[in-house]
Amino acid sequence: MSTIAASTFSIGSYRRTIIVVLLVLGTLLFSVVPVWPVEECVGDDCLVTLRRHVWVGLYDFFLWMETTWFGVIGKTWGAAFALVEAFHLLAMALLGGSVFVADARLLGMGFKDVPPQQILDKAHKVFVWALAVALFTGIFMACGVAGKIYFLPVFWYKMLALTTGILFVFFVKRPLLRQGLENLSPLSVKLIAVSSIMVWVTVAATGRWIGFAGS
Amino acid sequence: MNELLYNFALWLDTHDWSTRLHESYYMYNWVESTHVLTLMLCLGMLFIIDLRMVGVAFTNLPASTLARRLNLPMLIGFTIMFITGIALFYAVPVRNTQSIWFRIKMVLLVAAAVNAFLFHRNMVNAAGDWDAQARAPANLRLGAMLSLVFWGLIVICGRLIAYDWFDCEYTQPGIMQTLSGCVPDQTIF
Repeated sequence: MSTIAASTFSIGSYRRTIIVVLLVLGTLLFSVVPVWPVEECVGDDCLVTLRRHVWVGLYDFFLWMETTWFGVIGKTWGAAFALVEAFHLLAMALLGGSVFVADARLLGMGFKDVPPQQILDKAHKVFVWALAVALFTGIFMACGVAGKIYFLPVFWYKMLALTTGILFVFFVKRPLLRQGLENLSPLSVKLIAVSSIMVWVTVAATGRWIGFAGS
Repeated sequence: MNELLYNFALWLDTHDWSTRLHESYYMYNWVESTHVLTLMLCLGMLFIIDLRMVGVAFTNLPASTLARRLNLPMLIGFTIMFITGIALFYAVPVRNTQSIWFRIKMVLLVAAAVNAFLFHRNMVNAAGDWDAQARAPANLRLGAMLSLVFWGLIVICGRLIAYDWFDCEYTQPGIMQTLSGCVPDQTIF
């Protein structure tokens, strides 16, 4: 009886992790597996992936973004765009701070004398606020240059990294850490910390590179 | 003064390495990316210390302990930012010297440094059991808020350097010409 209960608990507690893994696999299939041939195609480019199909379909949405208030303000007033961009950077700085503090504790590189949950919970609150500001300012900026970023591969890499980061935090990192570090292997804890740092540095780096790729 | 700075920038501009760095697409962008990404380390730590002092974040941790522990990563981040910042200035010396945003940024950096020094001194001298309280004493809270404002403005000015609204090649009111450091009959970069 207790074995069955333990195994159910184990699957239940990893349910979100399994969902995320399935999502990542689904995204890969979405990106690389061809779904149908292009009609009257010539040459090598005859198979269309679902990703490419969706990408083409999104163009109208990006054009619409430029017509919204955010898009009009971003395109008309360079100063407003620059100011929002600066706040985006400040939000990313705060987000980075909260990630580094929490993950340094998980890696055992600081605050060893403080119970980890005390650091993790407070860092998560800061992270959520910083993420909210970064998302809001990011959407504003994207509206201002939607027609341009649509064609930049690095923008889509950033969106992929951002989606991965958000899913990772809310569906993998938090649920796992909520169980208590004592219930996780030290290797898992370190893997969570390193993955978290890597994914958010990737988000920031790809975001910065949008500026170079678009200029 | 403006002429002196302009001549110094001109001299830097004659350096082969300055041109190489400026003309190298990947190297320049890597240096600039590192400069910006280190914000996450340096300012991230600084903001958390400041927010703790004003009683907004991490209120369950002793304030001075948090400040001491985050000091090292913050300084590492600042050192990287400082080195990459100098490299970025070196790559485009004349335009940066004559950017009003760069000049405001430098003044704000000095103000932030003075504020950091006073903040640290006040923190060391602070007496009583304030460390465990949610909010630090008034003088430390003021220092933390000033720090947030100064660094916020530094980031804004840093971002605005990229914009050419007040560059010397455009006709500006006399005061803006002086503040930007434009020199009569100078070569336009």
